[in-house]
Amino acid sequence: MVITGNATAAYGAMLCRPDVATSYPITPMSEVAEQLSAFRANGLMETEMVEVEGENSAMNVVAGASMAGGRTFTATSSWGLSFMYDAVQHAAGFRAPIVMVIANREAPGILAVSGGQQDIISVRDAGWIQIIVEEGQEILDTIIMAYRLAEDYDIQLPVMVNYDGFYLSYMATAIEIPEQTDVDHFLATLKEQPKRQVLEPGVALGCGTHGIEKGFVELRYRQCVAMERAAAKLDEIDREFGELFGRSYGGQIEEYRIDDADIVVVASGGVAGTAKVAVDTKREQGIKVGLIKLRLFRPFPRQRLVEALNGKKAIGVIDRSVGFGWDCGPMAMELRALTPEIGIVPILSYIDGLANLDITIPHIERAIDEVQSAALGKSYQEVTWIPLEE
Amino acid sequence: MVHNDKFMFPYEGAWSDGREKLLCLDTGSWRVTRPVLDKEKCNYCSLCALYCPPQCLKDMGDHYAPDLDYCKGCGICARECPRGAISMMPEGEFADDSAKR
Amino acid sequence: MTKQKKKPKIYDYFKETEDPYAGGVAWCPGCTLELTARFVPKVLGNDIILVGCPCCAAPVLYGQNLGTWHRLSYFSSLMTGVASSATGISRYYRKIGRDATVVCFTGDGCSADVGFQPLSGAAERNERIIYITYDNEGYMNTGYQRSSTTPMGASTSTTPAGTISHGKPTPAKNVPLLMAMQGAAYAATATLSHLDDFARKLTKARQKIKEGFVYIHVFSPCVMGWRIEADMSIQVCRMAVRTNYFPLWEAENGRFRLTHEVSSPKPVQEYLRLIRKFSHLKETEINEFQQMVDRKYAVIKRLCVTE
Repeated sequence: MVITGNATAAYGAMLCRPDVATSYPITPMSEVAEQLSAFRANGLMETEMVEVEGENSAMNVVAGASMAGGRTFTATSSWGLSFMYDAVQHAAGFRAPIVMVIANREAPGILAVSGGQQDIISVRDAGWIQIIVEEGQEILDTIIMAYRLAEDYDIQLPVMVNYDGFYLSYMATAIEIPEQTDVDHFLATLKEQPKRQVLEPGVALGCGTHGIEKGFVELRYRQCVAMERAAAKLDEIDREFGELFGRSYGGQIEEYRIDDADIVVVASGGVAGTAKVAVDTKREQGIKVGLIKLRLFRPFPRQRLVEALNGKKAIGVIDRSVGFGWDCGPMAMELRALTPEIGIVPILSYIDGLANLDITIPHIERAIDEVQSAALGKSYQEVTWIPLEE
Repeated sequence: MVHNDKFMFPYEGAWSDGREKLLCLDTGSWRVTRPVLDKEKCNYCSLCALYCPPQCLKDMGDHYAPDLDYCKGCGICARECPRGAISMMPEGEFADDSAKR
Repeated sequence: MTKQKKKPKIYDYFKETEDPYAGGVAWCPGCTLELTARFVPKVLGNDIILVGCPCCAAPVLYGQNLGTWHRLSYFSSLMTGVASSATGISRYYRKIGRDATVVCFTGDGCSADVGFQPLSGAAERNERIIYITYDNEGYMNTGYQRSSTTPMGASTSTTPAGTISHGKPTPAKNVPLLMAMQGAAYAATATLSHLDDFARKLTKARQKIKEGFVYIHVFSPCVMGWRIEADMSIQVCRMAVRTNYFPLWEAENGRFRLTHEVSSPKPVQEYLRLIRKFSHLKETEINEFQQMVDRKYAVIKRLCVTE
């Protein structure tokens, strides 16, 4: 079928048979809520839909339902994510295996009704697994994989599946809807694992105890350790998904023409597709450039990145967001933290694609040229705000 | 890496467990006065037991007696008794060990 | 002295006699919240799922690491998410066909202020939950700051009686009335001096939750914050009812009824003089207070259905 990114997200959720789902409209993901409600109204889904009165409730409702034992789903964007932030952190502390899709939009801080990745960056430390997808089919497939990841007994962490608001959310592309039986089969593996602890009426177990001193530290430690386990687990799940459905995405990162590359461009989201075209063009011109599409953002795919970036002479990072205090984009800043393992290589930060401004092929080609120049030892600019240079 | 056997929580997540033992405070030690019943005046109406916030008045069949482990000495039972059968007496007048835990 | 042979009728309302709480828990001597917390499971049963938030109940309701002070199943939310988390739990159990009574238990600071949005949303969606507010007219756990149910004139730590201002300048929000107006299946007020009435209302709640949203507002004086004598907390409840400051009513699907009509209400001064947070009030202010009580009562009275 030819459907929008938002509709694709709704199909992905429906196929996983969530018990409880909530929705609150916010541009650019309102259609997710509408689509889910339509599925419910027409008997295509048995999910309890709760049309809440605000995003804060949207998250709290699914957190409660999740800790009572249900599979849950919700969706939001930018300001909605900010509004539910206390509940987002609380859900991560509970270790509730919620899956949430976010149609990325500029915020918070400066009002905008346009796409950007600031919302991803603003919740980096919430304790949620964050995956960023490139295109429509990947939204649907990643939602299915997200449930396998979130509900895994070794993980038990909530997952955010991010896709470009305004670009992917509204763009209709050809999507293959997998068979319900295949999705059921893929998720059935979870039933073979031990059951996670849930609320039960009449059983004296309390969810959300007060963490006191060492108890608090232990809870935090286990949250962090589970997060670390999620990285390799995603690779495993992605491989298994590929075997059953015939599509896989590389797990934590997708490596495009990396093996013999001298320089690398790192990007995430829809722009990765554009970047692949630029990479191909530049390759024809003789520049040995490769692309890393960053899929997993939290936990940061340290190991895989170190392996992929090993021996590379310079790195260009495209950020569709800003970070304060490091004079470079936030993803560029995180890549700088790999210096002890990859050595001191030029890392060029490109801030572009804010507020629905297009990241064009010429933008990326220009970046590749500059990264190549840096690799050859020439001086370079550490951070470039591309829209301001036009 | 911390070994699993050093963990205090048996499950992932912040769960408390009341299925076996409960935490309990020595609230009896807070008391500065204790209720004393004049059994002659008591007609077993049960109001003292109903109004007692810590619910520590134990049914003795024909009257109620405070559980001195937990009685906080608030005096509500004495105040509410319709027959004035309960008086709050200073702890100092009791030589027993009930105030010590 | 003749001994009563039978226990009072109130015991008929009790589903459960085993107290799920530990004997000694950290509530102040004379605390009406303690009485409420121990009373509710007697009528509703020990198999309820309590949903709470940081408030005066939290130090006892919440566990401490693995330990806990009670044997009730509970879910700790933040103040912003009580009614909404309860919604999620209730909806899930309904979906899987499991019989579970979800009871929200919070102070007025949550219901009237920071948790009002989800409360109003849950009421409007007619969620199958029982929401019990213990109204101690302020944020007591954090040091007796004012909330929107603090009455006009009350001296609190954020509306202290000083030379320029004389206590809270605005009247209280009437949360149970708002819930009834939202069309809750059952909305009621209750207090600790009238335990039969409270027990009957909790029993009603157990039935009405099958139809929709239930809200019970419990007048629950705070010994510390209001500066009343520890042994007077029940008497303060009683005077609140006898002066019509806190009328006892219920509204079943919008049909109002006073459950305890006071034939000759006492002047509100009889209530105010028991509570030191009002000790600074001048005669003019007490008269204003009386007028406010009369106005508030008149609204409820007018809403009552006459058969």
